[in-house]
Amino acid sequence: MSTTSDASSTRAGAAESRPRPGGSPAEPGRPKKRGGRDLLHSLPWIGPALILIFGVVLYPAIVMFYNSTRDISISGIDKGSVGFDNYVEVFSFPYFWPIFGRTIVWVVVVVAVTVLISLGLAQILNKAFPGRRIVRLAVIIPWAASVVMTTMVVYYGLEPYFGIINKFLVDIGLVDTPEGYGWTRNPATAFAWSIVVAIFVSLPFTTYTILAGLQTVPGEVLEAAKMDGAGPVRTYWAVVLPQLRSALAVAVLINIINVFNSLPILKVMTGSIPGYDADTIMTMIFKYIQNQHKVDVASALSVVAFVIVIVIVAIYVRVVKPMKEV
Amino acid sequence: MKKSLRFGSAIAIAAVASLTLASCGFGGGDGDDSASGETTLDLLVPSYSDATQGLWEDVIDGFEDANPDITVNLEVQSWDNLESVIATKIQGGEAPDIYNGGPFAGFVADELLYPVEDVVSPDTFSDFQDSFLANAEVDGTAYALPLIASARALFVNNALLQQAGVEAPTNWDELLDAATKVSALGGGVAGYGMPLGSEEAQAEAAVWLWGGGGTFGDAETITVDDPSNLPGAEQVKKMIDAGATQADPGSTQRSPLMDIFIQGKIGMQVGLPPTVGQIAEGNPDLDYSIVPIPTKDGSPFTLGVMDQLMAFQNDGDKQEAITKFFDYYYSADVYVPWVQSEGFLPVTKSGAEALSGEEALAPFLEVLPGAQFYPSTNPQWSATDAAFKALFGQIQTKPAQDVLTEIQAQSDAG
Repeated sequence: MSTTSDASSTRAGAAESRPRPGGSPAEPGRPKKRGGRDLLHSLPWIGPALILIFGVVLYPAIVMFYNSTRDISISGIDKGSVGFDNYVEVFSFPYFWPIFGRTIVWVVVVVAVTVLISLGLAQILNKAFPGRRIVRLAVIIPWAASVVMTTMVVYYGLEPYFGIINKFLVDIGLVDTPEGYGWTRNPATAFAWSIVVAIFVSLPFTTYTILAGLQTVPGEVLEAAKMDGAGPVRTYWAVVLPQLRSALAVAVLINIINVFNSLPILKVMTGSIPGYDADTIMTMIFKYIQNQHKVDVASALSVVAFVIVIVIVAIYVRVVKPMKEV
Repeated sequence: MKKSLRFGSAIAIAAVASLTLASCGFGGGDGDDSASGETTLDLLVPSYSDATQGLWEDVIDGFEDANPDITVNLEVQSWDNLESVIATKIQGGEAPDIYNGGPFAGFVADELLYPVEDVVSPDTFSDFQDSFLANAEVDGTAYALPLIASARALFVNNALLQQAGVEAPTNWDELLDAATKVSALGGGVAGYGMPLGSEEAQAEAAVWLWGGGGTFGDAETITVDDPSNLPGAEQVKKMIDAGATQADPGSTQRSPLMDIFIQGKIGMQVGLPPTVGQIAEGNPDLDYSIVPIPTKDGSPFTLGVMDQLMAFQNDGDKQEAITKFFDYYYSADVYVPWVQSEGFLPVTKSGAEALSGEEALAPFLEVLPGAQFYPSTNPQWSATDAAFKALFGQIQTKPAQDVLTEIQAQSDAG
């Protein structure tokens, strides 16, 4: 009884107080002024975020673009503007298009397989079973461990002569050279193993995002589907999956950006391979900086990479329409 | 409303002010505290071994005791990172005063370095071996001080060669034959350890290309795509195709492969003076010997590598302090124990005398006079070095000529 009266009194108070400072409410042109004033009022709250966005995101991006139009010597001295010559160098590099294609394969395969496995994992973790908490914790572990560390473990496991994965494969007879196979020494196998590691480290975040989505599916809806005679497959496709749309959208978008920008896995797994047969755009940027000391060209390629990410995300949003309500 | 506007503009001003102030922080950088009469020297060095940091700290402690008005800040980086660290520092206007590194011609081209005669006393200057100093000259002026030298030689696993019934080789034909026979022993044993991975592909490349009469060029021009380099490159392919090497030589790194040699699974591999110490520590029972590197016709050859110390012209007022530091460092009492602990070869005449009795260094000191060096005074050498690291390993799968052409192209573009 008392709660209802409380609620009604606040509502009344709110309704009463609103028109007070404005005076006459229906004045034309007023809302525009109000907007500016509201913005000023909100500055103390959004100000720090704006400063952060400018300082940490925009300023470096501007410097990156600026650097991409300069001629910077190998010891880092700025020798003046060269217009778009660095971009010409990026695109005329004979390995650019294979690298570009590999980047797309890398992003699509890693994200697609990650999401598929995560859908299954999340479904399992959503069921009540003894020890579920421990299993849920176990799924987080790849997330908690440093990516470089996880990759190094796999890398050393794959080493010939002393790696345990190689030793295992030799022992069960799958590899017939006694010192093992050079998985990380050949572009194709090293790239394939990198994809495996990338999927492994992307699983926790994706699984948990989907799990959170699964928990928003109301029990009554599932019950209703059951009452209407829908089998488990039909329920999943027609009831559960559509409701996961926003969770999947977040998982896929963040994964696309993350995987595209991922350097450490490929750097560790394919770092010793000569030539450019296992590179993606990210490792190529790194090679420009680390091996060739071409900060200017690396900046140009970074700008290109930035554009590519935006295009991929735009295509995804356009085609899949992840934000559309069910 | 007026009040809130004022409030708003105050916030805006505060925001702008904090941005401007913050941006001031970028450029400034703390200068040295010369006002108090004290000079600070920044020293950037790579790590040669686990002991490097301690050795430099000892040098600095001794130097600071002798010169209380000079403070030395030490920064140790791994070889992998060193060149990007120095590039970042220079770009940020915070170059170290003294830097220990490899290629330096790029810095000279950008007019960043002191000519070394300005930063060492004549006595110290005249103590350097002439051949090393000549290798640090650009247009007749030395811009870097030799720090350490190393020469290479072939480490041979006596037990494996005996099992295969072969002798230590002196030329390519013998090497191919011996390595193939050792590889045929099976059990994961490789005849010749050939590390063409990015770690130090340029060294293994030089061993083969120069051993066949080739060259990387001189201070003026880089000539990788040269007919004289082809025999060496073809021989590398021959070794790989014959199965005389470990698997996947194109992407094998040097240090891990040396560990496999130390474990006794590789018949022969080119090594450095510090390898002696690594074997003593890792597998003292290994029965090995050190012989000159086999060449095409058996003529003696070794690849010499020299690392340098250089001084950056930062403020101009540190020249005196840098001179004091170099003179102190290169005095035989300080320098000889340093070089000895790191297991390298000395570059000063006094150092060579002091270490002439060292047995472990003898095979290397012997070949050192005939050593050939990288054309590191060529401003293009950095790019060539990077091109070798990134591309030479492709020789495993691509035709030798194509690889040389590609390296030359990337080097020219750099």
